[in-house]
Amino acid sequence: MSLGYRRHAPVVLLALLSAAGGCNASDPVVAPPSPPPPSAPALHVDGQGAVPDRYTAELWIRGDVGYTTTWGTRSTANGVTRGNAVNIWNVAGPAPVLVDSILVADATTLGDIQVSDDGKLLVVATEFTPGSIVIYDLANPLKPQLISRFSNGDTTPGVHTAEVQRVNGKLYAFLSIDPGGGQAAKLVIVDLSNPASPTQVFVRTMGNPYVHDVYVREGILMTALWNDGISIFDIGGGGKGGSVANPVLLGSARTVGGKVHNIWWYHDASGNKRYAFVGEEGSGSIGSSAIGDIHVVDVSDLTAPREVAFFDIPGAGTHNFSMDEARGILFAAFYNAGVTALDVRGDLGGCDATMKSSDGRCDLGKMSRELGRGLADVGFPVYVWGVQSVGAKIYASDMLNGLWKIETVP
Amino acid sequence: MPRGALAAICVAGVIASAARAQEPTQRPMGGAKPDSSLQWTLGAQAIGVVTRASPAHANRALTEGYLTQPMVMGSLTTAGGRIAVEAMLDFEGITLERGELDAGMSGEGYIDRRHPHTYLHELVASVSGTESETAYSLAFGKGFVPYGSDDPMVRPFEKYPINHHISQIVERLLATAAVRRGPVLVEAARFNGDEPESPSDLPNRNRLWDSWAGRATLLPTPELEMQASTARVKSPEVPRGGGLDQRKLSVSLRYESVPAGVMPPMPGMPGMSMSAGSDMDSNDSAPSGKLVEWQQYLLVEWGRSSDYDAGSRVFSYSSMLAEGEVRHMGVAFAARLERTERPEEERLANPFRTPRPPPDFSILGRTRWDIATARLSAIAHESRFGTLTPFIEVARQHATALATPSGFDPRAFYGSDRMWSFSVGVAYTIGMIHKRTGGYGAAARNMTGMAMPGTVPMSAVSEGSH
Repeated sequence: MSLGYRRHAPVVLLALLSAAGGCNASDPVVAPPSPPPPSAPALHVDGQGAVPDRYTAELWIRGDVGYTTTWGTRSTANGVTRGNAVNIWNVAGPAPVLVDSILVADATTLGDIQVSDDGKLLVVATEFTPGSIVIYDLANPLKPQLISRFSNGDTTPGVHTAEVQRVNGKLYAFLSIDPGGGQAAKLVIVDLSNPASPTQVFVRTMGNPYVHDVYVREGILMTALWNDGISIFDIGGGGKGGSVANPVLLGSARTVGGKVHNIWWYHDASGNKRYAFVGEEGSGSIGSSAIGDIHVVDVSDLTAPREVAFFDIPGAGTHNFSMDEARGILFAAFYNAGVTALDVRGDLGGCDATMKSSDGRCDLGKMSRELGRGLADVGFPVYVWGVQSVGAKIYASDMLNGLWKIETVP
Repeated sequence: MPRGALAAICVAGVIASAARAQEPTQRPMGGAKPDSSLQWTLGAQAIGVVTRASPAHANRALTEGYLTQPMVMGSLTTAGGRIAVEAMLDFEGITLERGELDAGMSGEGYIDRRHPHTYLHELVASVSGTESETAYSLAFGKGFVPYGSDDPMVRPFEKYPINHHISQIVERLLATAAVRRGPVLVEAARFNGDEPESPSDLPNRNRLWDSWAGRATLLPTPELEMQASTARVKSPEVPRGGGLDQRKLSVSLRYESVPAGVMPPMPGMPGMSMSAGSDMDSNDSAPSGKLVEWQQYLLVEWGRSSDYDAGSRVFSYSSMLAEGEVRHMGVAFAARLERTERPEEERLANPFRTPRPPPDFSILGRTRWDIATARLSAIAHESRFGTLTPFIEVARQHATALATPSGFDPRAFYGSDRMWSFSVGVAYTIGMIHKRTGGYGAAARNMTGMAMPGTVPMSAVSEGSH
């Protein structure tokens, strides 16, 4: 080796390091651009109930009472708080009013919350170790009373979501369990017939790598299996001999991009049950960025579901859904883009070539299906987790700011 | 029998063996003469340290003590060094279960604490050969992936830099091919992408060979190394697969003075120390830990680790680091400057832990950490029963939120966005301590000189032959 080579080699590498450092300086952040201003009309905001000390997660509204959960660890100037609170709201007026809170022991996140269809029970999912569901009596909706807490080895390390639905007259909770501790993600089904003593009736490993949520209706179970898409099971309503304790697989579909997070099976006003809406939860940074589309899956044949359309907001990602089925409006939480309202009546899989993506799916945006957008114009960042349609209003849970009440028609 | 007792018995056995092996009458030929005899080395180390982090969390300071980096390591070589086995056992799973305070550090479910490593830290066999002036080798086992710089445990500081998961890939089941010709060394490896889930965890069978790395190293002089490397790591944080993938880049420059009488490694053979022209038949012929001449060590590195979802980059974290040490007569001063970005994740009830695997692909935000660290150490005792090196380390950290708005505010979470870390401890070593990591077979590099906290150069080693 020449002396000159020896002399110059470190200089060359230092120059390389400097160049790399330059790359470092110019490329510090990978985040999608902020969502552009919506072209759809703004949904009018009635009012806001602020929650500045914790991150707000899921919501459930019944009558004039609302419940919101809290998520993760939030650090503010006033200290560090955990997502272990259920906030109770009076939503009768224009702005939700916080009236009380419940603290759940041994929880850092309360992801999901739901009131049973008869209004008697409030069920809350808890993460992390130990994962559980906490069941409250709602004889007085403003003062939930603890009935029981269900937890076992199958619910560890956390219950990510808990869907409460009735199948053939019996009330069940469908728990999506986080992977961890060497265990894969699981679906656990719990019989809530005796809420003081819930009984597990089913457990199965599923999801790649997660099962994040389910949708249950008329004896059909639809599971959100992340990279494995959706799977549809007969649990008593599919005519294939399935039951809650022994679900029978009917069909599966993988949606574009995977990361299937949530599902809503739409039954329209005329009784058609053709479409399921699927939420894709991509990568996001809480408060500032998100990615993920709404996928429309034709489930008219439950044994052969297929994706036919999608809706995308550039620079934003979708999360949970709610529907006004009578009017054919899908409301979708869209994290950093607020809430969107989509007209989903009629044929969503039929569109002309100018409205299709390169892979042949119809683009609901190009089909002018967006009716309105909420919370995109409030003047400060929002990060909307969930939405619920109740009559002529929708309620939106905003991780950063609390609970919003919004008009549904622009 | 308690795990701690088992570990203590194991370490005691190693110390006894290493002490015996350091008797002059058992000094072997080392690797100086290629022959078919079985040669071995053995060493052990542990560091007792007390660390005060202020603030550590919620405006509270924490003071904790640890037995950190308790390790037993050894090697076997035969066929003139052409067949070799490197092994390291790490007992941090017993002594460091809660993790070690290290503000800014994150990985494997720990945050602001360094996680314990797996018990079987390294067990790699290699077969080497030469053809003309080209040395080549194949290595297989669990160990260090040929990517990035040396593992922090063989560098001057007790506290790890927080770029550990950006600049190294460790504890993987790997198959590595290496070719060296003159000053150019090229390595390539396939390995499992999943990170360990616990100290006793082994690579998942369904993940074998799903990831790869390559490293090119230029060694223009015995003192100087320059490497550039890249890696594609499948779903490291979701062990069963399906999580975000990582693409990594690293470049670095390493300088280390070579003490007189220490020979750089021969192609295809592990690096060994020897006195030129001698058979190394006495301890006096090898340089000790208290070398009279000055020694210097310098590392400058840049690295980036990006998370990819189905081919699209979603997050990226970069790191720049410079560290150096000067040593004279057993007294050493070291300094390190680091700027590293990390993700902020949902924390568990224990604020130093995060869920593993994460429940989805989102993060709370990103922070940039600027850290300056200084260290002073001195060999206090050196005998055939080992070396004791007291040390003190002081670090100043500054955390800055990069995303706006961010789900993580360092000032609110810690009580300040500027923190101090003070550590005082004693490093104990005996026998042969690995000075470099991840260079198997033909990729063995300069294994002399600067070492772990308080350790001595490789010349004062525990070796044997049969």
